[in-house]
Amino acid sequence: MDRYYGRQIVVPKIDAITAGLKIRPCFINDVCQRCGQINHYILPNQQFYCKACFILGRVSSLDVMLSLPEPNHFSNQVELTWKGQLTKQQNRVSNALLKTFSKNGEHLVWAVTGAGKTEMMFPLIYMALKQSKRVAIVSPRVDVIVELAPRIQEAFMNTDLAVLYGDQNEAYQYTPLVLATTHQMLNFRAAFDLMIIDEVDSFPYAGNQMLEYGVEKARKQLSTLIYLTATPTKKLRKKSNAGLIATSYLPLRFHQNLLPEIVTKTINDWRKKLPTKCLKQLQTFYKNQQRFLIFVPKVADTKTLCKVIKSHIPEMKGDFVSASDDLRQEKVESMRQENIQYLVTTTILERGVTFPGIDVIIFGAEEDTFTENALVQIAGRVGRSKERPTGLVQAYVQHINFKILAAQRQIKSMNKKGRMLKNQL
Amino acid sequence: MICLLCQTKKYESDTLLQVLGLKKVLERPICDDCNNQFAAIFTSCKGCGRHQGNNQLCTDCVRWQIDGKRLLQHRALYQYNDAMKLFMQRYKFYGEYAIRHVFNRKLKDLVKSRDTDMVVPIPVSYHTLMTRGFNQTIGLFENVRLTDLLVTIKSSKQRQSKFSRYDRLNREQFFMIENKTAVIGKDITLVDDVYTTGMTLYHAADILYQAGAKNVKSCSLAR
Repeated sequence: MDRYYGRQIVVPKIDAITAGLKIRPCFINDVCQRCGQINHYILPNQQFYCKACFILGRVSSLDVMLSLPEPNHFSNQVELTWKGQLTKQQNRVSNALLKTFSKNGEHLVWAVTGAGKTEMMFPLIYMALKQSKRVAIVSPRVDVIVELAPRIQEAFMNTDLAVLYGDQNEAYQYTPLVLATTHQMLNFRAAFDLMIIDEVDSFPYAGNQMLEYGVEKARKQLSTLIYLTATPTKKLRKKSNAGLIATSYLPLRFHQNLLPEIVTKTINDWRKKLPTKCLKQLQTFYKNQQRFLIFVPKVADTKTLCKVIKSHIPEMKGDFVSASDDLRQEKVESMRQENIQYLVTTTILERGVTFPGIDVIIFGAEEDTFTENALVQIAGRVGRSKERPTGLVQAYVQHINFKILAAQRQIKSMNKKGRMLKNQL
Repeated sequence: MICLLCQTKKYESDTLLQVLGLKKVLERPICDDCNNQFAAIFTSCKGCGRHQGNNQLCTDCVRWQIDGKRLLQHRALYQYNDAMKLFMQRYKFYGEYAIRHVFNRKLKDLVKSRDTDMVVPIPVSYHTLMTRGFNQTIGLFENVRLTDLLVTIKSSKQRQSKFSRYDRLNREQFFMIENKTAVIGKDITLVDDVYTTGMTLYHAADILYQAGAKNVKSCSLAR
């Protein structure tokens, strides 16, 4: 029975339904009760299904939803097994979050990439779990979830953690701590007392009504909502400026160093022939055994560019990865394990992932795939360890445009604030 | 054009003949990449439409003849490969009714080439209709004029694909004809989504012959 707590599970009307469950219709006034959208696809016999949330399994007018109210059946024997120390600024943010939590409010944490956002959450999560509250940490990105999972589990070793995302085989279990993609929130109903959304500004969550509805519905009416991001959307920034949402700002990375700035170099068409400038750079990387990521605008580019690099420097171990790759997690993992020296990737790895001490190359930075925020995030992959707090962010462009300048300006302005904060210390 | 299967946007250019209006512009439902994953059947067994090097009867069909059946002269468009398996999974088990259009035109042509009096789809059970919400065969052959003559007898809850070959061959008749007079002396094409062992179609053919049909052939999307 506990798999129904705070969930809504879709079953055909005609099947036998266990007694004691709350039965809800799937559509009220034509609105899908899972995703809040009206997007019907017509079936024979005046039936229909919802096209908007089809990817999570079909909801049709032939089905009903089963659920049980969230009872918070958790023990409050919680231990924070994370033994790290928060910096002074991190502590300040963390305390502000605790204050928001006590008021069931909303809070925006606007911290630069590599500020240690996850660690700042630990005291808050600990506090919530101690009160037997149910906690969800969600993100639009699968890669973020996959990377967060071991870190969260390590911090709360004695607490059950459920990790939910699209193509994963583990069955759902009722746990106090849930780590999931934003899509998975559609399967919940009034379940969470504390909801933390990491990388709120990223695709596909930003501006997606269905996912926003899903997250809103998955949390209880009286609950706390925390947004985490390094690059808030305009909407959030406006809300924050107008004072409608409590905001904590952190312009310094956890190791107190500034963000690396994006360096641009103009080159010829790199899709035709790998320019000598780039090759020289790659050879330097190979000589120094410097690990690096290469970002390209299109999925098709990942394979071809990787091939070209291998033809020039066959001894250097590397791979390519994109969203449609079956071995996506494995390849990222082998980069993390330092089995390969480089990875050619699309914007899927722009955020939420940490490979300590890497450098970054961006090919075709002027193309539309790389937005201003994406470029800032990509630059944020560099210098994420104490041992090597700086690094190279090299953008190869055929021409410079406003977007690149805006990204450079954004980093500079954050660094300016960071420098001021540093001087105060 | 947005591909029905992979949802990516593809641009296609018309040929000169199409621009001049000498050739009809046909809107294609899926992109080349998706289309190439399906393996068409060219030469096949003349009894069951199985893909093979020649058009001789395969061992299965010889067995049917020994069992005393009149062969269905089955024809199918595609082999049941991984891509087709995935398509069927999406269409039938996930219930994505929208992708029924993918093979509509080709199936219409196939049925037309059989040139018979009436086209009869294989029915689904009441339970399937209430969970899936549609008859997959009727969906696939949507723009063909179908005569829905057959009904299932037992509302057997288990799906065909969960049975082994032995189980399937030894099941009792599971179809019934609603209007027996309609089939007397008729040339009939039976249509189904997939031909696996042929059991379903031979059961349906049996009952049609019993009711007085002159000749029963069949076709399906996959074999």
